[in-house]
Amino acid sequence: MTFDDNRQFIEALEKSGDLVRIKKTVDWDLEVGAIVRRVSEMQKPAPFFENIKDYPEGYRIFGEPLGTYRRLAVALGLPPATPYREIRAEYERRLAKPLKPLVVKDAPCKENVVLGNDVDLFQFPAPMIHEGDGGRYLGTWHAIICNDPDRDWTNWGMYRLMVADRRHVTGLCEPYTHQYDIFKRLHASKNQNMPVAIAIGMDPICSIMSASRSFGRKSEVDLAGAVRQKPVELVKCETNDLLVPAHAEIVLEGEMVLGAGRLEGPFGEYTGYRSDPRDMRTVYRIKAITYRNNPILTMSCMGIPVTSDTVVRSMDYEILMKRVLKMNGIPFTDVHVPLESATMMAVVGVKPAYKGIANQVGYAFAAAQMGLYKIIVVEDDVDVFNMSEVLHALSSKCHPVRGIRVYDEAIDPSPLNPFLSQEERKWHMGAKVIFDCTWPLDWEGKVPGRVSFQEMYPQEIKERVMQNWINYGFEGE
Amino acid sequence: MKKEYDTFVLRNEELPDGQECQIAIRDLTPGKRKYESFSVKAFISSSAEQLPEGDRLWIRTDLGRLEKAPWKIKIIERLEAQ
Repeated sequence: MTFDDNRQFIEALEKSGDLVRIKKTVDWDLEVGAIVRRVSEMQKPAPFFENIKDYPEGYRIFGEPLGTYRRLAVALGLPPATPYREIRAEYERRLAKPLKPLVVKDAPCKENVVLGNDVDLFQFPAPMIHEGDGGRYLGTWHAIICNDPDRDWTNWGMYRLMVADRRHVTGLCEPYTHQYDIFKRLHASKNQNMPVAIAIGMDPICSIMSASRSFGRKSEVDLAGAVRQKPVELVKCETNDLLVPAHAEIVLEGEMVLGAGRLEGPFGEYTGYRSDPRDMRTVYRIKAITYRNNPILTMSCMGIPVTSDTVVRSMDYEILMKRVLKMNGIPFTDVHVPLESATMMAVVGVKPAYKGIANQVGYAFAAAQMGLYKIIVVEDDVDVFNMSEVLHALSSKCHPVRGIRVYDEAIDPSPLNPFLSQEERKWHMGAKVIFDCTWPLDWEGKVPGRVSFQEMYPQEIKERVMQNWINYGFEGE
Repeated sequence: MKKEYDTFVLRNEELPDGQECQIAIRDLTPGKRKYESFSVKAFISSSAEQLPEGDRLWIRTDLGRLEKAPWKIKIIERLEAQ
């Protein structure tokens, strides 16, 4: 099943019991945010708000579209109860065959066109998401689109966007991002503003691609086609040459303004904290808005896990980490980025084929520009997805001195980390740490034996116990 | 009817108490345009007595925490955005 737009996805989620339609009028000023936050923390179905205070009938908000593995499965056309490892395997399999987009002339996103001085960003019910945020966020689950013709590359990125006034949005665009790279190389160097388009309310796969970081300089739209198993339809903007998803609910057309800055933030972020102070940030001047009738604004309420971002980005990081391990020739079993870690910690399962393997993992990740800071390296007798096993290995096998390796002054791509000092945020410097939960290979013959039912008893005894389990008076499994 | 605004005090900055200044504020008037931000030339004071005719100005830290006591603001001129 391929969803041509977010509306079809909403219907599918409703059918599978993964969406709640909220008809009661809700306030965009904190009430929507509070509901979505509670939904995220309780892992409840996605809220679909049909009546928003101060806004006309038909203007709607879809909260946390991909905030559970069930919703991720539905987005991929899989049964909602598909186990996560199968979801990821299917996603990885599809990524292998990129599909170029189709350019169309007519598009749902052109049902309404607003140009020039008529542009008013307060037309849409951008929510005030958390108390104390710097403003109303129109972009928390969206794509900022810009072009790099030199490399035949169109970048889609998800960088938060706050409404500054009726014609300007402002947000984070950090130096390590693809968007900043394109801006600096192709536009700032020529003293030019950069044309951008901001697509809100795309189909779920396009949103996944926009949120993902792991694909290097590849056009996300080709990969969206791959995962959708159907090309994405694109349509040309009204005021520039960029192509945007034809099915998007709302498209803002404009430019990233050279040398301009507006105050943005603070904002409660994916780390679960509001840690970056209000500061001067990138300005986007909006020159046109196109939108569908009865537009649906998508939003994520960042905060403590689990949000759409943690679901998508943990999968994305796992795929990227596996690539890094393969590239470095490190024998591994699997990688898991637990949702509870807010994508800042990973568990790497290795086959301890040689001495120092955890250190090799450490060097590979210290050099990678990923927002993963704590890596737990376990042996292949631990299931990386079983956090009970992982915590036991961390507690029992990691030496408090020799088992912990710190990589100080590693590149830190995100200024949002709560544990960073202000100075570290400024210079994008941080630290990474490896917890080595593998036995030293030179302990051969002296490795402590794990005391478990499976490992400490002869097969004959285990079978006898299993056969008589109910006879002993226990309930069956 | 008095209006309400708020402002964020940025890192390493202090609000000029009892002085005319340029300041970025948000309009807290309920409705569709609430939280619109803009810069103004204004006179601000932590003392209600010093600016009895002023509007209310709430103060937030750079991380968004609301200070307990509001200030007063008298807007002289709204400045154009970039």
